[in-house]
Amino acid sequence: MEGTIEKATKPSAEPGAAPGKAQRMLVLSGRYGTPAVLVLLLIGFTAASPQAFMTGQNLLNILNQSATLAIVAGGLTLPLVAGKFDLSFAAVVSLSGILAVGFLERSGLPWFAAVLLALAAASIIGLVNGLLVAYLRINPIVATLGTSTMLLGVNYAYSNGTPITLAPGPFTDIARASVLGIPAPIILTAIVLGGLWVALNFTLLGHHMQAVGTNQVAARMAGVRVARITVIAFAICALCAGLAGVVLAARIGSGQVTAGDGYLLNAFAAVFLGASVLRDGDFHILGTVVGVLIVTVTFNGLSLLGAQSYVQFLFQGGILVAATALSSTSRGMLLASVRH
Amino acid sequence: MTTATTAPGQAAPLVRVRGLTKSYGAIRALRGVDVSFRRGEIHGLVGANGAGKSTLIRCLAGLERPDAGDILVDGEIAHVHGPDDAARLGLAFIHQELNLVSSFTGAQNIMLGSHRGSMVTPRRFSGVPRAVLDAARRVGIDFPLDIPVSELTVHQQWLVTIARALVEDRALIAMDEPTASLDAQEAATLLKVARELAASGVAVVFISHRLDEVTAVCDRVTAFKDGSISLALPRAEITREAVVRAIVGHDVTPGAGATAFEVTEHPRVVLRLQDVGRGRSVREVSLTLHEGEVVGIAGLVGSGRTELARLIFGADRPDRGTMLLDGKPYRPRSIPHAIARGVAYVPEERRSEALFLTHSVEDNLHITVWDRWRMSKLLPLIRPRASRAAANHTCRTLGIKTADARRPVMSLSGGNQQKVVMGRWLATNPKILILDEPTRGVDVGARADIYDRIREANRSGSAVLVISSEFEELLECNRVLVMAEGRIVGELTGGEITVPNMLHLCYA
Ligand SMILES: Nc1ncnc2c1ncn2[C@@H]1O[C@H](COP(=O)(O)OP(=O)(O)OP(=O)(O)O)[C@@H](O)[C@H]1O
Ligand SMILES: [Mg+2]
Repeated sequence: MEGTIEKATKPSAEPGAAPGKAQRMLVLSGRYGTPAVLVLLLIGFTAASPQAFMTGQNLLNILNQSATLAIVAGGLTLPLVAGKFDLSFAAVVSLSGILAVGFLERSGLPWFAAVLLALAAASIIGLVNGLLVAYLRINPIVATLGTSTMLLGVNYAYSNGTPITLAPGPFTDIARASVLGIPAPIILTAIVLGGLWVALNFTLLGHHMQAVGTNQVAARMAGVRVARITVIAFAICALCAGLAGVVLAARIGSGQVTAGDGYLLNAFAAVFLGASVLRDGDFHILGTVVGVLIVTVTFNGLSLLGAQSYVQFLFQGGILVAATALSSTSRGMLLASVRH
Repeated sequence: MTTATTAPGQAAPLVRVRGLTKSYGAIRALRGVDVSFRRGEIHGLVGANGAGKSTLIRCLAGLERPDAGDILVDGEIAHVHGPDDAARLGLAFIHQELNLVSSFTGAQNIMLGSHRGSMVTPRRFSGVPRAVLDAARRVGIDFPLDIPVSELTVHQQWLVTIARALVEDRALIAMDEPTASLDAQEAATLLKVARELAASGVAVVFISHRLDEVTAVCDRVTAFKDGSISLALPRAEITREAVVRAIVGHDVTPGAGATAFEVTEHPRVVLRLQDVGRGRSVREVSLTLHEGEVVGIAGLVGSGRTELARLIFGADRPDRGTMLLDGKPYRPRSIPHAIARGVAYVPEERRSEALFLTHSVEDNLHITVWDRWRMSKLLPLIRPRASRAAANHTCRTLGIKTADARRPVMSLSGGNQQKVVMGRWLATNPKILILDEPTRGVDVGARADIYDRIREANRSGSAVLVISSEFEELLECNRVLVMAEGRIVGELTGGEITVPNMLHLCYA
């Protein structure tokens, strides 16, 4: 099926089994290549702007900036684990921001009701995506491209194309509040990602999701409810996007049609960077976290250095290619070295 | 077709393997193997699961790079770095697992292996070329080759794979368990083809766990044990007993356990089918299955056996007839529903229908029973340590050869992968266990093990339905039903259960 993800079925190299020194280096650079890139970035930026970059305030800043992207990318990891692409989450980020602000400003709902309704709307989009893919058997890329385009229309219709702004209040406090000096978005992100990590690794749902992504026919024959799992994956992805949209709207104090656009490429970059962390090309939450950090650190560091935005894009694209190439080539060399 | 005049054994070897060594991490798959393949000779390779047969073939095919040792073709060291090198040297292969491009037609898949001309030599992409037709006729293909192979049955895909190896003239053809997925008739055809190839001077390498085939066609047999050659037998010394001893180290007689399946005095009926049918593949099938009984279903491939099993397992829905499970109406809406009612099904094609190759043995064993290691009713979390310990225990009891249950299942040999699938379903303690070709690719020793497990499940009350194309294996059943063209055409009990009787009913 197109639009679904084929995993390479090459044998994974076992560390420790073949204890050559050079081999161990290759194992390390294969598995830890991407985290190493993160460390190198941190060292590089510290060296380039020692006063500004490696300060407690800036590090907290980086985490705070990465919060929304981390929630989006964490959610996106699930459909990818189940072997399905989702292209609609960026539009969901915008939608939920617009709705939350709109419900507050235009309908005068209390902030929590506005937030809950926005999240409910986001989840429904995810359910629709899942139903289209699982029951109508539409190619996931096509289905989510379709819903994404329709959402764009909805967003324009609801907002008339202009940002809906709002005055500071309990809603914007979502992004500003802090507990013990830690900004609330960071805490929220940690809870969401922790939950996703546990769900993927230690629950039936997670195991079944991985099974569906690896071999859908075998999963069905083993009694896995493939359609249901697919729907849940899309729904969680959209719910996460909705949550990120709310946090983002609270931070910028408005709902905008284009608010989520930047997340599409960044979230995919983060998840694919993460797929080469620790495991051999499998999508997983810890990897996604590393990927998100690489993306955010790059932006933060470069903007501290005063780089223009074209430099930022060149740099980020380059890192995506380089980091994944590093881990896949060292894995290839490792396989070759095991052979003689 | 002219017969090679040199007597087998005297001709200089076409391919000689010298000191071939190959390790996967700590596992030593080949430890310095020396073997020669001669023109005009059918050379059988036998050995327990994981003994290294397929690894040798994959090295010859350039799919694996040996750690040490040489491959000599016509006396010269050949560097086989990839399948294209092997093709240039005139070596053709039928590998143990299916490798077809599923969106291509049968003809396109067959031509994919053909390397005549350059990259840009025009060639037809549609229709069925002559050469393909000839190869297809030779292996007895009677289905269209101009539809995507994904629309063919697994078994038809195998015939396509075999035809692919025959489409060009090659000096050596290595077949890794080519008959494992074929029925009696087709296996016979393939053996005939192998003999013809040998008679025309081709070197044939033949791997099989079906020892009657090995003893029938091979001019020489080499037995592998743990990566080394344990025994080489010339034509005159090839007997079933000798081969079995070389593989397992002791004697195993087929059908020896036949009396071990005991049926209680008044067995309870577990499953009753009344005129069940679906389309034209299953027609008005009626059968009863009792508690603690092993019933075999014999038949040629395409006789509707798998289709019938899928109806009972809820993978497809019958469009007529009724089913009763434990005396209650049984209309499975889905596979999970069937599993909840105590039905288990081991499908025939393990790689595409059962295994998650990149996942660990543990994940593969526990996919149906994860809930067993759930922390509590309220908390849907799985206790990883308990699950791992259980998986390692299963590996030991079923004799799954792996260093650790955390290893990916694709690092196991074919027969051990089959045991993993068996283990998955035995773990569910099924009321009805349906086994579709349960011992495909499993060595004689392990086959006896699997039958021990079946008997064990049986004693604890499971009713077992065994589908097999290897009729010898069905000798151990209490009853054998024979299917042909979607119908049950006969039932054999007690002393009537013999291979000739089954064959007779199949062709009647
Ligand atoms: N890709 C791999 N990674 C790790 N170990 C492997 C890999 N392929 C094979 N092995 C190991 O090498 C050994 C030999 O395997 P091989 O497939 O050659 O066995 P075989 O004789 O063909 O068995 P079978 O009859 O079951 O097909 C086995 O122990 C197997 O676990
Ligand atoms: Mg093999």
